[in-house]
Amino acid sequence: MTLRLLALTTLTAAGIAGSAFAADTVKLGYQLPLTGDTAQYGQDFRKAAEIALAEFNAAGKPFKVEIVFEDSRSDAKEGTNIARKFVDDKEIVGVLGDFTSGVSMAAAQVYKEAGMPQLSQTASHPDYAKISKYQFRNIATQAQEGPYNAKWMASKGFKNVAVIAEQTDWGQSVVGGFSDAVKANGGTVAFSEFFNRGLKDYRSLISKIERAKPDAIYTGFFYEDGAQFLRQLQQLGIKTPVYSTSAAYSPKLIELAGGAAEGVHLTSNFLPTDPSPNVQHFVDEWKKRSDGAVPGQFPAQAYDAVRIMLAAVEKASPAPTREKVRDALAQTKDFPGVTGKTTFNADREAEKELVKVEVKGGAFVPVAD
Amino acid sequence: MFDPYYLQQLAIGLSLGMTYALMAIGFTLIFGVLNVVNFAHGEIYTLGAFAGLVLISATAPPIVAVILGALAVGALAGFSLERLAFKPFRRFTDEASLKSRAMRESTLLSSLAVSIVVREALEIVFGSQMRSVPFDYLINTPVRVGPVILVTGDFIIFGVAAAMLIGLQYLLTRTRVGLAIRAVSNNPLGAKYVGIDTDRTIITTFVVGSMMGAAAGILMGLYYGAVFPAMGFTPGIKAFVAMVMGGLSSIPGAVICALILGISESMATTFVSSGWSDMVAYGFLILTLIFFPNGLFGARRERV
Repeated sequence: MTLRLLALTTLTAAGIAGSAFAADTVKLGYQLPLTGDTAQYGQDFRKAAEIALAEFNAAGKPFKVEIVFEDSRSDAKEGTNIARKFVDDKEIVGVLGDFTSGVSMAAAQVYKEAGMPQLSQTASHPDYAKISKYQFRNIATQAQEGPYNAKWMASKGFKNVAVIAEQTDWGQSVVGGFSDAVKANGGTVAFSEFFNRGLKDYRSLISKIERAKPDAIYTGFFYEDGAQFLRQLQQLGIKTPVYSTSAAYSPKLIELAGGAAEGVHLTSNFLPTDPSPNVQHFVDEWKKRSDGAVPGQFPAQAYDAVRIMLAAVEKASPAPTREKVRDALAQTKDFPGVTGKTTFNADREAEKELVKVEVKGGAFVPVAD
Repeated sequence: MFDPYYLQQLAIGLSLGMTYALMAIGFTLIFGVLNVVNFAHGEIYTLGAFAGLVLISATAPPIVAVILGALAVGALAGFSLERLAFKPFRRFTDEASLKSRAMRESTLLSSLAVSIVVREALEIVFGSQMRSVPFDYLINTPVRVGPVILVTGDFIIFGVAAAMLIGLQYLLTRTRVGLAIRAVSNNPLGAKYVGIDTDRTIITTFVVGSMMGAAAGILMGLYYGAVFPAMGFTPGIKAFVAMVMGGLSSIPGAVICALILGISESMATTFVSSGWSDMVAYGFLILTLIFFPNGLFGARRERV
């Protein structure tokens, strides 16, 4: 509905502009889960992309951009099919997505063969960007976040830690990146285990963690699993400090976990309370479209990813090609986004500045240490 | 000295098993009568949870009213489900059609279709995000029993599951309605010949079974504090496994197997990674099917 409305306004705008000069349209693809278990994330990405796109098309650029959204259901097979479809559409010069590392990496194989630039807002598995020179991402990898958090926890005096993560490509990179850094800092990993995403009852796992008597627990989960985990931790009366990755940074975590989220430490690269004008502009636009809800980190990353892609398309125009868009993406330097300045290094990794955050009084509060 | 850790795991397993049992009861009841899997049972569960949540956010009624509301929605949903997905396939009442596998299997697919439509519709209306239940309504205040920590919800769920089981056994063995249900489940054609209104009996079964599904849904919503369109899927699978292990149509069997499932999952977590604990459940299913093709409690031929 909103999409159709948007398409309509885009068309009308194009019609008006068309009278002055032939309005070119550049097409981008966006693969993301719009249905299925992870649909909530994909829906948010689409909303963020629509905000970025509407702004771009309203800015009086010499061409218009259209984004084709395809539903991957977070299924690697589906993701690969979409990738083939995008590759076959000669008008598409760049692709955004997918959501999970697993699906992004499966689709990346297709994009690698076809020479299609791919920019994922969330795929944080270390191997993703290594697939070919066409893969970019707008998120800190676990190879960056793991050591950062390990250092943070070590500075708090937690020597003996437990680590759990969801059983996915991403979860494994959380455990890997973190555990190696803990050992390098001279600490010990007392307990390390994976759970299935969407597990309802963490109490067995929690009892098992507590038997290992860790000083702190490091967790690789998203807000749904995180909220259940934290709540059941509280139910069992366990006070061990919990640290987590930026993946759990969402207002929904606090909404669902309530008081149980108090004192959780995590990292983030987006703070909706940041007073800088572009952040506040995004937060306002988001609130307008979501009944006043505040965006989490993921939609912010999607918003920036779309804008980085649009900037690359603009740089590659007139007559952008896939190769020119790739080169323009690779040259992205100090892009002023809502998730901080983004520069792609030689490995096509976004070097993100991480912020330390703690849940205090029902809100995410930045902390110094 | 016995390690209290194992007692805690046992208690968690029992509570987990109870949550599976809660769903398995209604599921098995419907299977027992129609001899066909009702794939939409998980969505009835979800609908019950959403109905409760909508009621809570609209008028903040006492918890009993919330459950009654969910029961009413469950009854209505069960009735509509039967109308939509099952009744059209009972148009032909001759013996060949009644015994036809194709007829039964088509309801398997039609109920699956209804389940997909309902889930997607819920996603469109409510979005696929997890919705939180207001904290005053949650039933997870910790309760300490000796060395073991449980929550209030565990006792409520135990009470509700026990009441459902005893109530159903009473209904099935002591009342005329129950007699009719058992007759239809045993031999639909025979039941028709002796003057039982089979249509009405089937509808009654659906309404009762779906009310139980909806009650399970809202209880789970209050227990875990999150309501979302895909919430019925995993419990549906677990209830299905419990039903098959219990011998397909034995309600007490399904309940006992649900408890076995819960306990083995939580106990298994001690010895293998939590990611593998589901394997234990499905391993049990395979073992049961190999060594007890009629299920653990399915020796008696009489259904329900």
